[in-house]
Amino acid sequence: MNLKKLQEQKIKDILDEKQRWSLPVIEKDASIKKVLAILTARDHVWVVEKKGSKKLCGVITESDILHLLAPPRVPRYTFGKRYSISLLYKTARKAKDIMCKRVARCSLEDKVGDTLTKMVNSGLRRLPIVENDEIIGEITVHYILQKLLGKI
Amino acid sequence: MSIETLLLLVGLALILARLIGYALEKIKQPAVIGEILAGILVGPFVIGKIFGLGYLSPETEALGKLGIILLLFLSGIEIGVDEIKSASKKGLITTCFDASFAFLFGFIVGHILGYSTIVSIAIGNILVATSVGITVRTLMEMNALHSRVGEMILTVAVLDDVFGIVILSVTLGHGSSGLLLLKVLLFFLIFLATLFLASRIKNIKINIPNFVLTSSLSFLLIFSALAKMLGLAAITGSFFAGLLLSRSKHRRRLINFTRQIGEVFFIPLFFIWVGASFDFYALEDLGLLVLLFIPMAMLGKIIGCSLGARVCGLKGRDAFAVGIGMMPRLEVALVVVTTEISMGVFSKELAHQILAATVLLVIITSLITPFLLKTVYRR
Repeated sequence: MNLKKLQEQKIKDILDEKQRWSLPVIEKDASIKKVLAILTARDHVWVVEKKGSKKLCGVITESDILHLLAPPRVPRYTFGKRYSISLLYKTARKAKDIMCKRVARCSLEDKVGDTLTKMVNSGLRRLPIVENDEIIGEITVHYILQKLLGKI
Repeated sequence: MSIETLLLLVGLALILARLIGYALEKIKQPAVIGEILAGILVGPFVIGKIFGLGYLSPETEALGKLGIILLLFLSGIEIGVDEIKSASKKGLITTCFDASFAFLFGFIVGHILGYSTIVSIAIGNILVATSVGITVRTLMEMNALHSRVGEMILTVAVLDDVFGIVILSVTLGHGSSGLLLLKVLLFFLIFLATLFLASRIKNIKINIPNFVLTSSLSFLLIFSALAKMLGLAAITGSFFAGLLLSRSKHRRRLINFTRQIGEVFFIPLFFIWVGASFDFYALEDLGLLVLLFIPMAMLGKIIGCSLGARVCGLKGRDAFAVGIGMMPRLEVALVVVTTEISMGVFSKELAHQILAATVLLVIITSLITPFLLKTVYRR
């Protein structure tokens, strides 16, 4: 597929069913053990309000877990509780303790080009597709690449 | 100061601060003390005396003030509105005890030494905020971060930074008490209105590269200026600007960006400036002030926090450990004292003495807290 043409398309035009039903999702009160289990197979997990709900309230990525696995480092200037969240010291217990609460998002009507710009500006490789605060799918750089090369 | 002297001294100060700070981190002490020591080295008593170069100038002061603005912004955005909202009732009660006793003990020091009411209030303000970094490191070493004591210390330390800034704004703003109250109310109304508006404006699409970072920095500086124009301290504006932006979906990016420009350049320049302003001659007249100021600073926290924690159900030894863990003063105490000095609260001579006493308080509490906490807290 032509890149220019792909950038002009809307998310809804390129999204296939797999991107909707194979979402890695976990409820915010799930145990940290469950989160780690999902992340052995995926590089991120979307956090929703409760089991069965689709209301998006956060995301946990590999990078978040990396910080929890590495020996904790207290920065030079320390404020807030962020730096006390640790696997080693058992202060990370539930998904909500480690998730990033405010998530950049996109919608089905957004153009692929605008979504890519949003990813570049926010330093993200994936965005949830959200309608009425509910997650209905996700778009990743990996998926867009596959689409560009005609692999899906 | 010529531009080449400025560049030379700032360059030298930055590398010294990083090296001494790193050496101190290796022996489990805060890097900030290293930055203050670097300031003493480039200041008028060492390099200034040997080479005749003066670090203290309006230019280095301005750089240091930008450092304060970024430091308080970082504090606001890292603490965040959500963390304040989620603080437990017990944490809030303990913070009320903690802040009241710390402030009161500082006020009493000023009163005993015969200073005016406003100076006594200013001394009280310095003692309110705690630095949690050293306590977190100690609790980690003791594997007690997730204990009731650890959780209580973290919650109270977060809240008393907020209390410290609010108390400073309310007590030391310019104008008569009625007018000041109006200004404070107006400032908080603007804060709440901005918070409300920000929650309503969600889907603005602006695809200008780095717009979020530039607009946030711009907002920080304008909000700080607004606070100053209303007769409050600029740091009040920067702290609350941080709180406002803590609800942004770009929070993590903003924290990383502020940490990069702040930690590498501006914030060390503030602590270097504090070190360079350290007046060794002031030590000669410091006797009674230090004898009262440092023990009262420690006692205020121990009594206030222990009482608060006891009221909230912690047992005697644990409650005492909370008090010990809350003793260290660092970043915010130094910010408050320099802000009060620039507001002209103290006479020139007293300003040097109070700054020297606060630097000594920072060093002493950082050194003794880990030892005392390990002694008192047994699991």
